[in-house]
Amino acid sequence: MIKVSNFTKVYKLSKKQMTEQKVTSKIKKAADKVSFNAKEGEIFGLLGPNGAGKTTILRSIATLLKPTEGTIEVMGHDVVKEPKEVRRRIGFLTNEIKLDKHFTPKYTFKFFGKLYGVSDKIIDERREKLFNYFDIKSFEDKKISELSTGMTQKLAIAVSLVHDPEIIIFDEPTNGLDIITARAVTNYLEELKSQGKLIIVSTHIMTVAEKLCDSVAIIIDGKKVAEGTISEIINEYKGKDLEHAFFNIYEKHVKEV
Amino acid sequence: MLLVIVKKELKRVFTDKRLVFSSFVLPALSIFLLYSLMGNMIGNMSNEIDEHIALVTIVNSPESFKDYIELYIDQIDRLKKEQGADFNDFQLEARYIDMTENEITNIKNSETGDLVKLGKTDVVIIFDQSFDKSVEGYETIQHPNVNTFYNPGEEYSSSAISRIEYQLLTGYQNFLLEKRFDGLSTLSAFTVNIENQNNIIAKEGQAAGLGMSFMMPMLLNIMLFAGAMGIGIDVIAGEKERGTMATLLLTPVDRKTIAFGKVLSLGIVAVISATCTFGAIIASLPNASEMLAGGTEVSIDSFGFAIGDYLMLLTVIIMQVGIFVGLICLISVIAKSVKEAGTYISPIYMVVMISAFGTIFTTQDVQMYKFMIPIMGNVFAIKEILTFDLSLVEFGVTVGMSAVIIGVLLKLITMAFNNERTMFNT
Repeated sequence: MIKVSNFTKVYKLSKKQMTEQKVTSKIKKAADKVSFNAKEGEIFGLLGPNGAGKTTILRSIATLLKPTEGTIEVMGHDVVKEPKEVRRRIGFLTNEIKLDKHFTPKYTFKFFGKLYGVSDKIIDERREKLFNYFDIKSFEDKKISELSTGMTQKLAIAVSLVHDPEIIIFDEPTNGLDIITARAVTNYLEELKSQGKLIIVSTHIMTVAEKLCDSVAIIIDGKKVAEGTISEIINEYKGKDLEHAFFNIYEKHVKEV
Repeated sequence: MLLVIVKKELKRVFTDKRLVFSSFVLPALSIFLLYSLMGNMIGNMSNEIDEHIALVTIVNSPESFKDYIELYIDQIDRLKKEQGADFNDFQLEARYIDMTENEITNIKNSETGDLVKLGKTDVVIIFDQSFDKSVEGYETIQHPNVNTFYNPGEEYSSSAISRIEYQLLTGYQNFLLEKRFDGLSTLSAFTVNIENQNNIIAKEGQAAGLGMSFMMPMLLNIMLFAGAMGIGIDVIAGEKERGTMATLLLTPVDRKTIAFGKVLSLGIVAVISATCTFGAIIASLPNASEMLAGGTEVSIDSFGFAIGDYLMLLTVIIMQVGIFVGLICLISVIAKSVKEAGTYISPIYMVVMISAFGTIFTTQDVQMYKFMIPIMGNVFAIKEILTFDLSLVEFGVTVGMSAVIIGVLLKLITMAFNNERTMFNT
């Protein structure tokens, strides 16, 4: 469903960014020849510490960024050549992508539904279903600015699913969510998986990954250093659990560098 | 899709009380209040000067002048009764005093302050002693002299002095000459405009148009830009800052459509904002005509515009709005934050102001190349439409040039929308 081949992303840094990040080089390799495949009906995890390049990879899959080298195909569509076809098929969610607080949940849902070319009738049906599932129904006519963080987060998830995408990309899905909302979200991801959809999540919390993901790719310093199912990774890197295995990988990688 | 985006943008603006107040209500209200207040004050001031009865101190007045003043005041009183509210002739109250040669020399050599010692007075007229005698003996004696003193810092005084010199003393001279030559007809070779009361040649509305054409293009341009500026920054730079732009860019809608939707809705907002302000100016016209058109009665009817003129005006305004909105959008896309956009936009606002002010004082014919100058060309065109001077070729050049600029701006905005560096600050 998603095929990432030799994906490399290089950022040019401005002088200000160079001082901020305390580097002397004008270019920064956020992703370096990353390749992996993710198949339908699974939850695929991109794991790694902050700044490893996970978000860059996810944004490039979502066509927000263009690869410097390598290719990314989403259901057979190249992200550079057919970005619209790709966008039609994915739902993308991160904390940095926000909804205008001035509007109501109901209006926001409808607006994005229309932009995805969904008919009014289907928008209404999906809204009923998703708003009920995430308990948004009772505040659907309030301004988003009046909602709590958790409520806004739930709405953002609902909105990202308005076009019933085949692939759902979720950057740090449970970050900043309260325990109950986080549970609702992970449960819904399981349900989407059972519908045969592909879910890609990124996280640096290994317990979340272990519970949620079928297979994972571990990214450190922009490079993919391991890939496989959870049990394959634990076995290969001799960990008690995923977190233990991750630290073994991390140590090995740091030594190599 | 375009319509969906434009609708959302307009909904965003018009359901936000803060934006509506700051972009539509406040500018219109302040223009109305300011113009009405200033117009009334300027109007009152000139009325007050017209109605003021000048206090004139006359030193060593000859008998003939006293007679003349008496006649003058009688005539003024009669006119005042006849004309009622329309009456605006010079009125005076004369005070006669006598002084010796020495006192007069002292006054002539002194600072104005000493004149004040004469008491509260607007103008002092000092006649040479034995004035009447000198006038009568004109064949053998040198002409006598009249000295006048006034205070240029005082409105009443400086207004009275010109009336006294050009009206009163000239009248007095004629009065004396009439006595001397027994009638004035032998002394004049011709008269000017004596039966031609209406000596103004202008196309209907042109006079009022000229008055308005001084201020209007400038005001209109500044209003259009200012109206679009605040909201424009919010619509694009604000969306980037709040992270709501990325959500929009994730949808399968063309970036070009998103960009165009933003520009279009901002254009609509700018026109509505300018219309509000324009409405406020029209509403303040009855009070502000003194200030805007130098006393010419101005109302929207006084322009005498035909449909063609309105269409030209509208087209040029829309083109100007296009350029403004294009510039504002482009800057907002490039800027990383609302604050940064505000900083970048200030110099452009300055350019708009300078372009607008620069056209106020041009009186000669506008050369063709000037219509090609971005922004300024449109201001010239608006000015020329208001005075009925814009030819179709000039109109075509202005609109054509603007269309090219708008095209380039749209292209640049779309490029910026496609550029991940500007969109995601990477």
